[in-house]
Amino acid sequence: MPPMTPIIAVSGLSKTYASGFQALKTVDLEIRQGEIFALLGPNGAGKTTLISIICGLVNPSTGSVRADGHDIVAEYRAARAKIGLVPQELTTDAFETVRATVSFSRGLFGKRKDPDLVERVLKDLSLWDKRDTQIRRLSGGMKRRVMIAKALAHEPRILFLDEPTAGVDVELRQDMWQLVRQLRENGVTIILTTHYIEEAEEMADRVGVISKGEIILVEDKTELMRKLGRKQLTLSLQTPLAALPASLAGYNLTLAAGGDEIVFTYDTKAERTGITALLQALGEAGIRFRDLNTSQSSLEDIFVSLVSGRS
Amino acid sequence: MTSASEAPPAFNGRAIAAIYRFEMARTLRTPLQSVVSPVLSTSLYFVVFGAAIGSRMQSIDGIAYGAFIVPGLIMLTLLTQSIANASFAIYFPKFTGTIYELLSAPVAWWEVVIGYVGAAATKSVVLGLIILLTATFFVPLRIEHPLWMLLFLVLTAVTFSLFGFIIGIWADGFERLQVVPLLVVTPLAFLGGSFYSIDMLPSFWRTVALFNPVVYLISGFRWSFFGVADVGVGVSLGMTLGFLLVCIVATGWIFRTGYRLKN
Repeated sequence: MPPMTPIIAVSGLSKTYASGFQALKTVDLEIRQGEIFALLGPNGAGKTTLISIICGLVNPSTGSVRADGHDIVAEYRAARAKIGLVPQELTTDAFETVRATVSFSRGLFGKRKDPDLVERVLKDLSLWDKRDTQIRRLSGGMKRRVMIAKALAHEPRILFLDEPTAGVDVELRQDMWQLVRQLRENGVTIILTTHYIEEAEEMADRVGVISKGEIILVEDKTELMRKLGRKQLTLSLQTPLAALPASLAGYNLTLAAGGDEIVFTYDTKAERTGITALLQALGEAGIRFRDLNTSQSSLEDIFVSLVSGRS
Repeated sequence: MTSASEAPPAFNGRAIAAIYRFEMARTLRTPLQSVVSPVLSTSLYFVVFGAAIGSRMQSIDGIAYGAFIVPGLIMLTLLTQSIANASFAIYFPKFTGTIYELLSAPVAWWEVVIGYVGAAATKSVVLGLIILLTATFFVPLRIEHPLWMLLFLVLTAVTFSLFGFIIGIWADGFERLQVVPLLVVTPLAFLGGSFYSIDMLPSFWRTVALFNPVVYLISGFRWSFFGVADVGVGVSLGMTLGFLLVCIVATGWIFRTGYRLKN
């Protein structure tokens, strides 16, 4: 099967601001149609600059971007018509009503009036009861929903969510995750940046990590966790140990819980994990255990390890 | 949520309409500030200069002083309100951050300008007509060239709304937003013959006054009322169109380069 044309293709993109700050070095990135792509990176890594260039808010210094095959500069109308953006900051009008502001967004994108669609979007986001309320009278979480409704008003094929759940409560976060899944089922490609790594772990199909203006990794999430994930086997001992015997020096072991536990860290991608040999060596050393469990490093652990490894 | 791919319009009239309606709705929400306040200020000018002082002054070019100042006062309001409306309209989204939506929409810069400047100019023209109507309560008026009067009214409103739009993009704070209208436009309008004919000035100051672009606006507008002018009506029209052209070129450059918008 021929490879699918990416819905977003970023090529040689860089951005240096007038102040001289280089927010993006040379960035190449492809987003696949219909996927949920999580862009992770510490503050100031260039996430928002990258999104802002793709969406038309910031001029790039060099490079090009194509959205659904359309160059974002030469064919900006066609490109932007496909894209919806929910920016990081809570930026809404104050005196407009919810329904009016969502209808305004639809008009701005050149779409004909469609009260039924606006109603559906507002209902999907639990905003229908607030449709005639001025935005300034809404809570922060509700304003965030309004911004999502505005971004969806023109039925985009690509949706950028820049820190969508920053500062929202757990219930709203769950609602948003649900909405994102529903959008993906309907064929919308989602690109989200987040500080909540668990969000990326929960939602994303692929993960990109950006650091100091460079994409340092793009990987299928499960593949990434398989490749980089470390697994740990924790053995709860029947008798506490003061120190590990010399015969176990060849294993990657640490004593934990005041000598009550031995923790064995191993590589999941290795051909042999070494668990069988370890258990045999423990038996030979007379060390008996009453319980065991395994744990795998989270995406957050991987992210911290990647970013700190470059600093 | 996605629709069958509807091709983006080559001309985004719906965006223009959305911006225009949004701006007009803002005016209707604030009638005291948008309409009542400028009408009251201008009425006070009529009371003070037209009725109280004007009755003691000679007529100018055969026109009673109270009537003579009407075109200048309308123009004064038109200039200041056009600039204020348009500069605030584009500055406020920049200030709050909602401009992101405008920049990310499939809308050309000239469509954005038509929406914002069209709304600001509409408000100014309506305001000018209200003030004209108000003036008839204070002084007897005649309009010799009503179509020229409307042409100058609309052209000036559009030109200075565009100028205000540029100021709104340039301004990076509320103080700067006020600097040009207060320190440049208002003095130019007062010294541009709102309350007198520049023919009344000594020769040197008359020459200096001819460097004031507002002189041409007021002169042309006054000609449409009374058939008399400080400078030829063709020159007035040419100067107004010239300033309009300069503003259009400047706005195009701003959007092309992203000046104060995209960098």
